[in-house]
Amino acid sequence: MPEAPLISVHALSKHYRSFKRREGILGGLRNLFHREYQTVKAVENINFEIGRGEMVGYIGPNGAGKSTTIKMLTGILVPTSGEMLSNGFVPWRQRTAYVKTIGVVFGQRTQLWWDIAAIESFKLLRRIYDVSQRDYDERMELFNQVLGLTELLDVPVRKLSLGQRMRCDLAAALLHNPPILFLDEPTIGLDVVAKDHIRQFLRAINERYKTTVLLTTHDLDDIEELCRRIMIIDRGTVLYDGPLSRLKEQFLRTKQIKFILRDGDQSARLAAFEHNLPALAPNGDSSAATLRLERLDEMTCRLRFDRARVSSSDLIRQILAAVDVRDFVIEDEPIEEIIKRIYSGEAEMSSYQPVEKDSSPVTR
Amino acid sequence: MKEAFINFKRHAALLGSYFAQYAKVRVSYRGDFFISAATSMTATIFSLGFVFVLFERVPTLANWRMEEVVFLYGFSLIPFGLFNVFSLNLYEFGATYIMEGKFDRVLLRPLSSLFQVVFDAFRIEALQEVVVGGIVVVWAARRLHYHWHLVDIVLLTLFALCGGVIYLSVFLFLSTFSFWFEDRIGIHPPFWNLLAFGRYPLSIYSSYIQFLLSWIIPFGFATFYPASRLLGRPEFRVYAALIPLVAAAAFALAVTAWRVGLRRYSSTGS
Repeated sequence: MPEAPLISVHALSKHYRSFKRREGILGGLRNLFHREYQTVKAVENINFEIGRGEMVGYIGPNGAGKSTTIKMLTGILVPTSGEMLSNGFVPWRQRTAYVKTIGVVFGQRTQLWWDIAAIESFKLLRRIYDVSQRDYDERMELFNQVLGLTELLDVPVRKLSLGQRMRCDLAAALLHNPPILFLDEPTIGLDVVAKDHIRQFLRAINERYKTTVLLTTHDLDDIEELCRRIMIIDRGTVLYDGPLSRLKEQFLRTKQIKFILRDGDQSARLAAFEHNLPALAPNGDSSAATLRLERLDEMTCRLRFDRARVSSSDLIRQILAAVDVRDFVIEDEPIEEIIKRIYSGEAEMSSYQPVEKDSSPVTR
Repeated sequence: MKEAFINFKRHAALLGSYFAQYAKVRVSYRGDFFISAATSMTATIFSLGFVFVLFERVPTLANWRMEEVVFLYGFSLIPFGLFNVFSLNLYEFGATYIMEGKFDRVLLRPLSSLFQVVFDAFRIEALQEVVVGGIVVVWAARRLHYHWHLVDIVLLTLFALCGGVIYLSVFLFLSTFSFWFEDRIGIHPPFWNLLAFGRYPLSIYSSYIQFLLSWIIPFGFATFYPASRLLGRPEFRVYAALIPLVAAAAFALAVTAWRVGLRRYSSTGS
């Protein structure tokens, strides 16, 4: 028997009534007396379940409804309609009991006391969350190992760099060892090393404590490195919910061949190859989506092609025949491109059939 | 009931921790504490000076002698000083908590939201008002040949605490407006000006203002009515008994407004 999901969300919606703000001083005055209201559907009928120990990436463009969902899941916002059960609680109804069992990190804001050493925040949080001294010491030791906190703890929080502060914030959110961790943009503004630090830590926590993690991000590397499952939301509805690998399989359309020329004297041959490209496409279809050559620099070229319509082995043979090549790389289209297509509605979502196990709506 | 008691105990224990946290913040800016205590004490003494200047021109004010008015003024500083220890965050609630979004963080902690907002910052230097007020009251009482009995001291303490609660309730109530209207400044400023009215005998004002300061914004119950009772003046004697009731009612109303505002916040997120 499969375990009951840790978080289950059923037909969840959040609508705001907002009024159109007119601009300028006159507009501002008119706003005071007459307001035109409109309903904004920030989240519209979303369904999902998350099991214990899962790490789920929750992505979508700005204003898609990510933050609204997180705020409902953390008990800050009350939904307009729908049901939600998280770790056995209805978040907004049992706020104080519920928030004791979750950890939350908002990448843009710290929850530490700004003017004093981070260790002081940890000490107070230990008391707020009723963590025993023994558990506290044990967890701090782990955090010190994986996050390298030791040298940060005695520095006033305001003097920490963004990456250092994020490490402290993560530790603070996990001090009470919550079974669920919500992260809103945990790597925003961080450099490569700091991002790597954070990701390693999240993996370690997930492995050791089976912590369930839901994270929103704009950085798809976060998802590729951490999450097997991805949920894409736009305009308040979930567009895709499933493994990252299947997203690629189903929506990957183009591949690209990057090749580096052996020397710089081949421009004539390259031009001839480019001229002949349309002949390689099926039925002479030479639209850019099917087949397109770009020169990245003097020696490097990139050829994008529709993997369904053009065979890569054919293409390679043609390239080798036309020019003298030193090196080759065949790559999948970057995942950003796929997601961009999903946002713009170009990817045919109708062709996507959710598999029972991944995103079946809760039926009772 | 038992659960409520445990919850109360937990918050009471954490109050010490919150205060310690604040003390650490204050200590990290050394010097600043004494400067701000000294400046605010100077301001208090100057505003008191106005009462003396006033009585150079007039012998009595609505049948109150100078020493009595000074007693009233001095007493009014005590509850106000007590309230001011906690007033800072109420004043900045709209700007920092609602507009800058700090309130989300408050809701993510397993504690009462009101507790977290009120006790996130203290202003210990506001206790200078309590000290100055105490000195002034003692001085005025001596000039009036006042005989202190134990019951007077108990009453004064009780009235001062009730007064503090009344100030807290009024400004807490006003802060809850930030749940509906997003604005940096909030609607406090006109009410700060109104405070000064309560430091003089209510009898010098028109009946409208007396009504306003008694039943709408009950600053009169924080200052004038208790001081009248302590001085043993005949007018408004019955009001003294109402002081704890007014304090309790004002506080209940403010907490209710906070709860309604909280519900509004969690349905709009702003």
